[in-house]
Amino acid sequence: MKVAVNIISAKKIYAKQKIDDLNEKSIVPKMMMRRRLTRNAKIMLYLADSCGFRNGKIIYGSAFGELGATVGITDAILNKTPISPTLFQNSVYNSAPSYFSLLNSDKDEIITLSNGMKTSKDVLKCAALQSLISGESIFCVVTESLDIDRIDEVNNCAHYLEAGAGVILQIAENENGAKELQSSIDEGVIASLDDLISLVNMYEEDKELKLFIEL
Amino acid sequence: MKTYINNYASRSCAGNTTELMNAIYNKQTAITIDNTFMEDTPVGLGKMQYDNFFSLLKDVVQEVLESSNLKDFSETLLIVGSSVGGMAESEKHYFKDKNYTNIDPSRHPISVITEELESKFGFCDTRAISTACTSSANAFLLAKRLMSVNAYKNILIVGADALCYTTVCGFYALSVLATQECTPFNVNREGMNVAEGIAALLLQTTATKDSIEVKGVGASSDAYHMTNPDPEANGAISCMKKALDDANVDITMIDYINAHGTGTQANDRVEALAIEKLFISAPPVSSTKAVTGHTLGAAGALEAIISCEVIKRGIVPPQTALQEAENSNINLPKEAFKKDIHIVVSNSFAFGGNNTAVVFGEVE
Repeated sequence: MKVAVNIISAKKIYAKQKIDDLNEKSIVPKMMMRRRLTRNAKIMLYLADSCGFRNGKIIYGSAFGELGATVGITDAILNKTPISPTLFQNSVYNSAPSYFSLLNSDKDEIITLSNGMKTSKDVLKCAALQSLISGESIFCVVTESLDIDRIDEVNNCAHYLEAGAGVILQIAENENGAKELQSSIDEGVIASLDDLISLVNMYEEDKELKLFIEL
Repeated sequence: MKTYINNYASRSCAGNTTELMNAIYNKQTAITIDNTFMEDTPVGLGKMQYDNFFSLLKDVVQEVLESSNLKDFSETLLIVGSSVGGMAESEKHYFKDKNYTNIDPSRHPISVITEELESKFGFCDTRAISTACTSSANAFLLAKRLMSVNAYKNILIVGADALCYTTVCGFYALSVLATQECTPFNVNREGMNVAEGIAALLLQTTATKDSIEVKGVGASSDAYHMTNPDPEANGAISCMKKALDDANVDITMIDYINAHGTGTQANDRVEALAIEKLFISAPPVSSTKAVTGHTLGAAGALEAIISCEVIKRGIVPPQTALQEAENSNINLPKEAFKKDIHIVVSNSFAFGGNNTAVVFGEVE
């Protein structure tokens, strides 16, 4: 089943290692909270801010989740040192949108998906469904942060270790002028972001973009 | 279109679904006191018996297929709910090698479960949800909505999580693990038991003779704290209200509540308060985690199966290990009893203040 959605805003960002300017001090003025955020949370907050999303339903995705926190925990276990409770609470895949919820008092439905290299495809499908059901605009966003020590031991595909893309979409009133998603990936960005990156690239060419999405 | 649960199968530390229900009704906990994960500190865990977690996962899904009216899953959408995916396998390599070289990146994340099942059963498409302990409960939200717009006729929900060092030691770091069998809703409860589990349910838009309907699903966010629930219980109340509205049933029509009931101080206090505030008719409530432990991302699916069995059997599960309730304003039965059970609410709450409630009911 296909539906047509209007793309309201879209943004992407990536860097070879750590993304330099995520506008953190402006987006999260409280230092104590800022220090707790995971890298995925910081990237997500930046994308939400850039897309103009403040509150509402979110579909978040990440193929690898919170690798930094996970590595911190396994290192602590291996070295028989205490595990930081903050690291453990940050290790769940839904940490990033949960921090968004906390910071923006967002009490709406927040779903986190993680389905390998098809994560951003699934995020778009779920966001389209949520908009079809609710009629609301939905923020869908995928982030990956792979910038951990010794990542080279397992990484042979991602040139950009931090990456994210976010889109606000809303179900369209009709299908007139709707396009199919054209694959136009950015080489070196992890494939879990492919569909969202392609969408952002289409949106940058056409700010009135209307897109078909298969549920 | 409506959504019907037509077939299911499960494994937990209490065994298969029949063994699990016997344990629940007989108040026999399946928790063992174990020091595998923390040498110096034995804790209560819900451990399953298996040689290979993914082989057992496929066996459970095969059971569902064989009991269904489908020849195969080629026209079925798979929705997985899991909180740790392939973490146990990654840990094994890392703790042995002290480097990542032998870790297969495709077998570390949540998607290892969808990929394992896809390779054996050939689903038409897959999704995987990871919202910590609401993961497979949220699969019902997605499935019901997809079926309501007639996008799919068959959806298989699989909740699956294996024990691993990260979760056991992580919950210990949060000071919420019980060293003994957990005692949900008791005044003197110690904490939770981390557990593993697999639960698979086939949802279809056409009912069969033994169907249970997914009547409603509601979700909310606390926006309060990363690990502690809102002490006023607003998020928990909100998700239950939304689920009841979605099901179009009145609060007085609820015959049983399968609580999230982890046994932690914060969860049980807040969940009991939510139930007390919302359900003036005081339906019976119990947490079956006193028998199974907390199967994390699998809990929503496992407790969906328990809810289906409760409706079919017409027997209310007792609260295992209940001595003195902390909140005497909720109805925690100490013994199983027969009752016409038409509608059940099942709660799931997670890190990040992620809340989901599902309403199950007899087919009208």
